[in-house]
Parts: sequence; structure tokens; C-alpha cells
Amino acid sequence: MIQNFLSMNGYGLFVWGSFAITFIACGLLYYKTFKTLKKYEKDFAKEINELSAERKKIVIENSKIASQVLSSSSKTI
Amino acid sequence: MLKILNLSNIFYWIEKLIRFINSIFFILLLVALSFALIFSPPDYLQGDSVRIMYVHVPSAWIGLASFSSIAILSIAHFIFKIKNIKLITKSIAPIGLMFTCLALVTGSIWGQPTWGTWWAWDARITSMFILALFYIGFISTHKFISDENKANKISSIIAIIGLINVPIIKYSVDWWNTLHQPASIKLTGESSIHSSMLTPLLLMFFVLILYCALIFLMKYKTEIIRIKKKNLKRL
Repeated sequence: MIQNFLSMNGYGLFVWGSFAITFIACGLLYYKTFKTLKKYEKDFAKEINELSAERKKIVIENSKIASQVLSSSSKTI
Repeated sequence: MLKILNLSNIFYWIEKLIRFINSIFFILLLVALSFALIFSPPDYLQGDSVRIMYVHVPSAWIGLASFSSIAILSIAHFIFKIKNIKLITKSIAPIGLMFTCLALVTGSIWGQPTWGTWWAWDARITSMFILALFYIGFISTHKFISDENKANKISSIIAIIGLINVPIIKYSVDWWNTLHQPASIKLTGESSIHSSMLTPLLLMFFVLILYCALIFLMKYKTEIIRIKKKNLKRL
């Protein structure tokens, strides 16, 4: 039964090949997108942390995004 | 209404949506794959090779839908000059390109056992190939033109010109003699596909749409952070 399922009546290579290519491509795009996002978040958080205490306070108070990125990056650390 | 469109609010909702999609995605993927690979019957003519349809057709639909959205949003950008629109189109483009390429590759794999050839320059395949070129053109402008306004203008023009190709792809099977069969699924009128095959097809489409939403949200979030980073440097 498993043999039949894997061979797909002689079309196994084509069927599994198509599904494999699709999921590998999707996985790679997900990995690349996720990595880029994390890199940007880390760089952004680093730049905020490098600001003087006064400026940092202004940025966090005025930008919800900055405070969210800072809190999420501190969680990952 | 405008408060919802504020980047900070969008950023907050993106985070929530990403978490929600992540929580349901793998369960839905397992269900869709079970239907596509186990429960759906083989075709009386094509046998089990018909299962390639469950990745090929949704990929083609997503490729087409993504480009149509990019083109329509580019027209809106020309009219309303909303910067946010360009962030959206930039985030959609890589997803559309990947699925267009997947439609071409899986179609080629399906073509071998069905038509006896990996590739033929028939109207549907050629027009899909041209769509991939439009995507590459659109993405390249943002990659290689450093002046953002100029890149936005050129990419919008590419998208609007490329929109002409979308109905050509859709109706190529009716206008020319091609290896492809006419559409089996119609939005208006009765579809000629059996429900035992339509269900896994729609399930796979839904799962891949969720995947696209996930990638889009992550890319959009990256674009927002990129802009905020630029603003921070101006301080």
C-alpha cells in the first residue's frame, strides 16, 4: 500500500517532484524573508540603543514601532 | 478610518496576524496535503499525475492575482500618490514571481507525462513566461535604481504595461489552439471539475494564500522598519 502511494502508479517522480519543488521554494522564501526581517529589527534596535538617553526617550515616546521593535528584540535576547 | 491606516497601527496588527497565521498554518497544510495526495481520486485519463494540479493551478492563480494587484495598486499610486501603496507592491512582487516560476516549473513537470514534452511555446506557457519577465523587471527597478522616486515611477509603468498580459494569459486557451485545456473552473457558470478534485484544489489554494499572507506581512513589516530606520538617521 505504501509502495503504491509512493510510486503513484508510475507518476511518483513527477508528483513528488512537483510537491517537493513547491515546498522547498516556499521554505527558502520564508527563511530568507524571516532572516531579513530579524536583521532589520536587530539593526533598528541597535541604532536606537546607540542614541543618547534623551534622544532615545524621545524616539520611544513618539514612535510606537520603535518601542515595539525594542521590546521584541529584548525578548529575543 | 485614517487612524487604521497609520503605520504604527498597521505594524501592531501585522504582528497579531503573523502569530495567528503561524498558529493555524501547519494544521491546515496537513489537511490540504491529505486531500491532495490521499483522498482525491486519480484522473480517468491522466492517472495520479493529475495531483500535480494541486500545486500547479494555485501557483498560477497566485502569480496572476499578485500581478493584477500590483498593477491596480500602481495605477492607484499614480493617481493618489500614497507612499504606503509602493510598500505593498514591493512586498507582493517576490511572492508573485516565485509562484509564477513555480507554475512554469510544475507545469513543465506535468507536461512530460501528459503531453510527452517538458516545454512547448504554446500561448498559455509563453504568456506566463512573459509574466515572469515583467515580475523580474518590476523587482529589478527597485534593486538597481537607487533613486526611490524614479524606481517607483519605472516599476509602476512596468506593472501597468504588464497588466495587458493578464487577460492574454486568461483567455489564451480560448483565443489560440494551445496544449492547455479550456478553464475547468468558472467564477460565473458551472465548473466542469468534480467536487472530489475541486475540494483539495481549493484547500491547497487556501493554504498557499495563507502562506502568501504570511510572507507579505513579514516583507511589509521589513519595509516599515526600513523607513523608520531611515527616519532615525535623519534625527
